[in-house]
Amino acid sequence: MGGACSRKRDQQVSEDSLHRGVSGRYSKSASSKWLGSSFSRGADAKQGKGKCPSLMELCIHRVCEDIDKYSTFSVLPRDISQQIFDELVCSQRLTDVSLEAFRDCALQDLNMGEYPGLDDNWMDVISSQGSSLLSLDLSGSDVTDPGLTNLKDCKNLQALNLNYCDQITDCGLENISGLTNLTSVSFRRNNTVTAQGMSVLSGLINLVKLDLERCPKIHGGMVHLKGLAKLESLNINCCNCITDSDMKPLADLTNLKGLQISSSKVTDYGVIFLKALEKLTLLNMEGCPVTAACLESLSGIVSTKLNCIEEIASVEYQLRPGNSNYYVFYKSYQCLQSLKVLNLGFNDITDAILVHLRGDLVFVYFFHLAGTFPASSVSTVGRLSYLESLNLDSCRIRDEGLIYLSGLHRLKSLELSDTEVGNNGIRHLSGLRNLESLNLSFTVVTDSGLKKLCGLSSLRSLNLDARQITDTGLAALTSLTGLTHLDLFGAKITDSGTSYLRYLNFITSNHLNSDYDFSGQLNLLIDFKNLRSLEICGGGLTDAGVKNIKDLTSLTLLNLSQNSHLTDKSLEVISGLTQLVSLNVSNSRVTNMGLQHLKQLKNLKSLTLESCKVTANDIRKLQSTELPNLVNYRPE
Amino acid sequence: MKKEDTVKLISREGFEFIIDKKAAMVSQTIRNMLTSPGSFAETEHGQVTFPEINTTILEKICQYFYWSLQYASGKETEFHIEPEITLELMMAANYLHT
Repeated sequence: MGGACSRKRDQQVSEDSLHRGVSGRYSKSASSKWLGSSFSRGADAKQGKGKCPSLMELCIHRVCEDIDKYSTFSVLPRDISQQIFDELVCSQRLTDVSLEAFRDCALQDLNMGEYPGLDDNWMDVISSQGSSLLSLDLSGSDVTDPGLTNLKDCKNLQALNLNYCDQITDCGLENISGLTNLTSVSFRRNNTVTAQGMSVLSGLINLVKLDLERCPKIHGGMVHLKGLAKLESLNINCCNCITDSDMKPLADLTNLKGLQISSSKVTDYGVIFLKALEKLTLLNMEGCPVTAACLESLSGIVSTKLNCIEEIASVEYQLRPGNSNYYVFYKSYQCLQSLKVLNLGFNDITDAILVHLRGDLVFVYFFHLAGTFPASSVSTVGRLSYLESLNLDSCRIRDEGLIYLSGLHRLKSLELSDTEVGNNGIRHLSGLRNLESLNLSFTVVTDSGLKKLCGLSSLRSLNLDARQITDTGLAALTSLTGLTHLDLFGAKITDSGTSYLRYLNFITSNHLNSDYDFSGQLNLLIDFKNLRSLEICGGGLTDAGVKNIKDLTSLTLLNLSQNSHLTDKSLEVISGLTQLVSLNVSNSRVTNMGLQHLKQLKNLKSLTLESCKVTANDIRKLQSTELPNLVNYRPE
Repeated sequence: MKKEDTVKLISREGFEFIIDKKAAMVSQTIRNMLTSPGSFAETEHGQVTFPEINTTILEKICQYFYWSLQYASGKETEFHIEPEITLELMMAANYLHT
């Protein structure tokens, strides 16, 4: 029995932990280590609502609930114990004690990225999976060098993720030198690994993907990569130690398809060494001191397999949906034939580059030119009729420049933040019916200009974070019923303004982000039953106003800080919002007495009550008795 | 109940469970056995023997089949699983694609 493997393993291999959605590391609140991932974790396997759970799912759920009763799962077929393991990780029920039951279970995937409490004590059971283990994610853990010793036995390991494991040094990496089946190795943001530590990589001849982002001491280590003939992707973004001399050894990596060297010290001279990388399709040089001259070196990169490249292009786009605007799809058939992604954002690029490449840019889809784009070249952009995404953040562009954009009918995303665009300019956008995302933050657009947007029926995301936007402007937006994301952070919206929001029934998942001058009533928010994230930090909110959010039971993130009138009564109202994962009521009159109202918030992972009459000790007490999931709290 | 609308599931100990075909089809494995082309004994006689599933477990599985049908029709109750049989039940569920 159990012969049929019900589990498709290849779905498990994670690409930068994408299966868990947003990683905590990149979430807005950097201090919330586990917060980002916890939104997606733990929601599964509950009975009720929707599809009938399979018997297998019910059993797994049951086992996870009684996990302490099991001493070993080694009697189970591997694919079943793997499912139990995954569910425990997902629901964050796995502890060093319950992990013991998985000793010698021949598990293949241990994806425990950013798992709370993971340290060297866990490594013995992890290594006991031996030659079965294929992928291991220990990112963000407290594992140290000795913890890696037993990994030597995991001969078949293919993917190893040690991102943010800041206690692992050169010495620890030596333990992976014999794991020649590794195809993917990642140790982002390691402050100690040096060129010497990288020498272990020279033996990993099957390596396809290597990620060393934010490692500040690896200068000189690239020489150890010379023999890695299979390497296709190398990420050394934000390694500010990397210089031109580090580019030289890369010339031998002729299979390289993706190279990311953003924010390094590489100059035009270093780029010359990349000439030989004929298969390169992605090159990220954001923030490098390169000039347009480097493009001449790259123009030699030619590939005949155009079909193949188009395919990769779409894959890459899907892999990085959040980052898409950081890349320029550079499909130039004459000059940079195989290079499709070229990021020149915030570089010192002038008109010269656009003039130089005008003829080749026709097929560009994604254009990231933030901060680099001279206004005089806007007419060139206007000819790029395939353009779907255009980022002109911080560019020197004015009203008269936007006339050139009026013909870009395929445009879905337009970023005009921090430009000098005003009311006269945005009328040129009124015909862009496919526009889904528009950012007008920190522009000089005022209320009367917003009328021009009322025909943009595809619009889903609109950023109006600007001081001069008021209630009147909001009134013009009521026809935009498809909006799901509206950012009014700095706008001057009052109670009467919120009544217009009533029409925007579909603001569901994301932000309603504003410092409303809520003197009392938030009752208009009641329509937004599906709102998951709410931040009102304008200072004008009182307990009476908070009452109006009691029905927003879908909220997972609530930030009411800076409202100095709020008292314990507000916490009492909040006690019903049991889905809350993150709560911030800093700078209020909340006291220790009020903490009792938070007992029901069992999902709470982050609690911030700075500058209140609350002591760390009392929060700690609450954590130990009532809120076991709380991992992050202030004051601490 | 017409005979062709039912199937007989037989446990390791030889205990027979006669249940609605519709319920048994909740299991992908049993569905395949009963509907596959060709004249397999299972298809012809409408009975399946499970030499590796004991009576307790098979009974629980039959309960699940009916619970699942109820669930699909909107009656979303909780399905209770006794902790002591969970692991064995899992292996059977795995085999039965249930």
